[in-house]
Amino acid sequence: MRPTLLHLAIAASSAAALAAMPQTPDTGTIRGRVQIVAAARSTGRPAIADLAPPMVDPIDRRRCVVYLESAPREAFGQLQRARVRMDQRNEQFVPHLLAITVGTTVDFPNSDTTFHNVFSLARGNSFDLGRYPPGKTGGRKFDTPGIIPISCDIHSHMSAYILVFSHPFFAVTDDDGRYTIPAVPPGSYTLMVWSELGRAEPRRVTVADGETVDADFRVAR
Amino acid sequence: MPSIMVRGSWGTLALAVVVLLGAFAGPAAGDPQETPAPSSAPRVTGGGEVTAVAGPEDDQAFFNYTDYEHNALRVLRVRLLGEWRIWQRLSLLGEARTENGDGVQIPALYLRWQPWRDHNFDVQIGRIPPVIGSFPRRAYGRDNVVVGSPLPYQYLISLRPDALPATIDQLLRMRGRGWQPSYPIGSQALGPGIPVVSSFRWDTGAEASWRNQWMELAGAVTLGAPATPVVQDPSDGQQYSGRIAMHAPGGLTVGLSGARGGWINRSVLNLVPESLRGRHNQTVVGVDAEAGVGPWLVRAEWLHSSFELPFVGETVQPAPLVADSAFVEGRYRFHPRWQIAARVDHLGFSTLVGTINNGAPTTWDAPVERVEGILGFRARRNVEIRGGYQYNWRDGGRVHEQGYPTLMGLFWF
Repeated sequence: MRPTLLHLAIAASSAAALAAMPQTPDTGTIRGRVQIVAAARSTGRPAIADLAPPMVDPIDRRRCVVYLESAPREAFGQLQRARVRMDQRNEQFVPHLLAITVGTTVDFPNSDTTFHNVFSLARGNSFDLGRYPPGKTGGRKFDTPGIIPISCDIHSHMSAYILVFSHPFFAVTDDDGRYTIPAVPPGSYTLMVWSELGRAEPRRVTVADGETVDADFRVAR
Repeated sequence: MPSIMVRGSWGTLALAVVVLLGAFAGPAAGDPQETPAPSSAPRVTGGGEVTAVAGPEDDQAFFNYTDYEHNALRVLRVRLLGEWRIWQRLSLLGEARTENGDGVQIPALYLRWQPWRDHNFDVQIGRIPPVIGSFPRRAYGRDNVVVGSPLPYQYLISLRPDALPATIDQLLRMRGRGWQPSYPIGSQALGPGIPVVSSFRWDTGAEASWRNQWMELAGAVTLGAPATPVVQDPSDGQQYSGRIAMHAPGGLTVGLSGARGGWINRSVLNLVPESLRGRHNQTVVGVDAEAGVGPWLVRAEWLHSSFELPFVGETVQPAPLVADSAFVEGRYRFHPRWQIAARVDHLGFSTLVGTINNGAPTTWDAPVERVEGILGFRARRNVEIRGGYQYNWRDGGRVHEQGYPTLMGLFWF
């Protein structure tokens, strides 16, 4: 678990921590690739006592979130109150990693043939949706930035992460580890990576109008 | 682990179960059988659980002894679970377990074959999960709502598979002494009785299971009996067990299960007249229900078990010995970290008439009642602490009632 994100997300809400203010509406893009050194696929604990459990695919734990440590003040007023979903399918949370902005509601539909539960003990974001049957959906609005480990009380092998940001400048890496953060106001920023598998050194980047900045990372344990 | 012998009829029946359940689980259009497993699927995965229960000594009443001769309220149990994916949808699963450091047990070791990727159907062969009831598949720390186990799955009754009473009186003298009954026929070594259904040891054989959103079906053919799972066949005949469960809208699941198998060791049966050797089966019928909505979880289970027993010294053989049990348990999670839970439990027995007790009908073992409640705290996702109290009443034995404070720490990974 990387402890930095919570601190940084809180810092991001503080005007004192903001980077240089953009003077024009033009923006730039940050893109790159995150390389994971460690092996990263797992299906979690074996379901020894289950009868007819679902065929569990390996979870790709290599996905990361790349984000700005701090953002321009205007970014905090532009957040949309979105609604996204984290499905429960084949006794897995799909997607395994979700990045959202504060005020977003996450729906947790149960698309399996068994009961599920969704809970987290994250400080400031603890919740427990209780048990609910197939076909039902539980939901939770996240109003506090932070890292939120998600679990199922019934199936101990199920896990996921939700990262809640107070600004919109973040991206989840794709299958190849690539990411793109668009519409970044010009300025100098510290670029961070969160991964459940390890740490990456932060990078300092400067974004100019209409330009694309490349920034690659290497995550190691 | 000893090798598993498969005899002709045994194998045929196992195949029949597989075919029957397979009929429900045929592949849908599009042939998902051809769906390849992910090339990067992990070959080996694992997990574990450490349970530490601190309770007082129980060497007078023996209310909480298990079939491993351990006190369930005073135990340090370490479980290691592993799965080796041998080929796409074929895995080898196993568990190694030690209690109080007394050697390593292998309570589970089996092959799981999932013929169709998109259907919840599997065949399991080896030392496999039990089909009967619902508690045995969630008997360990995190799935058990309190600290102790339900009476039918843990409390030792006064029967032994390796020793038999010759008369009704000899059996009645052992009422309330399931922790160490002794009988004249068979083993003269000291040994424990058996639970009505064993939840800490699994039986050896083959099983097929299927489930969808509304229904679960499972059938198994194994070597032992519900009370006496084995890895080698010590008795005549096999155990046949099955379960059907229905999921009703709104969060109610009701299951009906049954099992029948020989529970007396063949070496002991050989000591009784041939005309009585057919009296060796245990038959169990069970109904279980579970309702869970939001922070509430309520479960109930009823088991009716009958043990056939040859009484060499009786001219008229009595009816099979019946053990009836029922329990209701509930949990309320009033905070993401906090929960309260309780269980009310009963285990009763049919009556026999001997010369003891002036010839009055007497239950063949001492009925037991138990209540238990806990307060649980979830320190982390995988760390839990529970404290509570359990009280037992028994109509017989050296100690008729006894209470125990309980404290459990649980960690799984």
